[in-house]
Amino acid sequence: MSVIVANGLTHWYGHDLALNSVDLVVDGGEHMAVLGDNGAGKTTLLRILATALRPTSGVLEMAGLNAFREKRRLRHYLGYVGHALGLYPALTTSENLEFFCDLQGVNRSRVDAALEAVGLRAEADRRAGALSRGMQQRLAIARAILHEPRLLILDEPDASLGADAADLLTAVMHGRTVVLATHDHALANRLCPRTLTLRHGRSHGTATRLHIVK
Amino acid sequence: MNPFRVAMAVARKDLRSEWRTRELVPALAQFIILALLIANFGFQINSDNTASIVPGVLWFALIFAGLVAFGRTFAAEREQASLEAMLMTPASPVAIFAGKAFAATVLLIACEAIMLPALALFFGTNIGFDTILAVFVATIGMAALGCLFAALVARVRARELMLPLLTLPLWIPFIIAGGMAVQTALGLPGSYDEAIGLLIDFDILFVVLTSLAARFVLDE
Repeated sequence: MSVIVANGLTHWYGHDLALNSVDLVVDGGEHMAVLGDNGAGKTTLLRILATALRPTSGVLEMAGLNAFREKRRLRHYLGYVGHALGLYPALTTSENLEFFCDLQGVNRSRVDAALEAVGLRAEADRRAGALSRGMQQRLAIARAILHEPRLLILDEPDASLGADAADLLTAVMHGRTVVLATHDHALANRLCPRTLTLRHGRSHGTATRLHIVK
Repeated sequence: MNPFRVAMAVARKDLRSEWRTRELVPALAQFIILALLIANFGFQINSDNTASIVPGVLWFALIFAGLVAFGRTFAAEREQASLEAMLMTPASPVAIFAGKAFAATVLLIACEAIMLPALALFFGTNIGFDTILAVFVATIGMAALGCLFAALVARVRARELMLPLLTLPLWIPFIIAGGMAVQTALGLPGSYDEAIGLLIDFDILFVVLTSLAARFVLDE
């Protein structure tokens, strides 16, 4: 069953066309990588899929819901890691997650499991501002999975993660529908059976893992 | 999801961040003391004109401190991109706004706790319960409006300029009623009860209006 169905997603930033009529179908449990050069429209597409940005035109249904009319309901099922991490530097790692537990309406007992999943258990009492960039990225990933979403939208989640990025992401993505943007083709090939390539905001089709290897 | 729980979580987060960084309150307190000191030298104060000059000085210091305090509430969130992270949750934008407005109110009240004794000290006037109550009641409505416009302008480039331009005209009712209340509290003729009643009416009006508008300002 398709979890994401997008038709004709188009977005203009003023006079600049960032995304040009992109169609996309992602099935439940599927992992799809979005590839493309800088400025290809990856972040714009992912922000639209994460309901953080309303496209200029186009239709988007996610989990059977209209993504723009029912975005608040949809956000119960959706986790997002963007370019900007959006952490509170003065709060500790666990306080950051406890705060988002309150906003997600989930029990704070999930904090430990989320920290464990991203390997930050030992840093629970350190302030987020004192963490390295890689650790902050892990904390942002922990925040995205706090409410155990079925759908994950990850914008370059491997940035600053280090050597075990693929293993960490494999564990986080397991059992979820994932759309992931990355510049790392090898990582995309390892994590995602399907890819979508964007060039100048246009979709240049999807490919299976076999096509990328070729 | 409980909106009260969300609002309290947001307020607790803001106050905890301020407690740890001490970014806003010490700077505002310093600004207020300096403003009062300058006013003290700038006006020829004597026992005859204290009651008419002090309310003006009080509200001037308060509105400029308020502009800085409310401007920072959303500017910091935008700078660290955490507002989007908050709005990406299923939490109600109105509850998020209420939490931020509450925290900003508490921070401004902390500044007022420094301002009022300093005012009494520099101008040799008695600051009684009536004056404290008038300032407190005005702060609630001013905070609601200030936070709404701070949220609105946080996404534009010239926000430092836009915030006073939008906020000050709508704060005028609070300055008029608040000025009247403080003048009568300091012994000038007038009805204190009427002024406080007006302030409470403005509070109710603007808290309701800003709560209704907050959803649209924060959502898109």
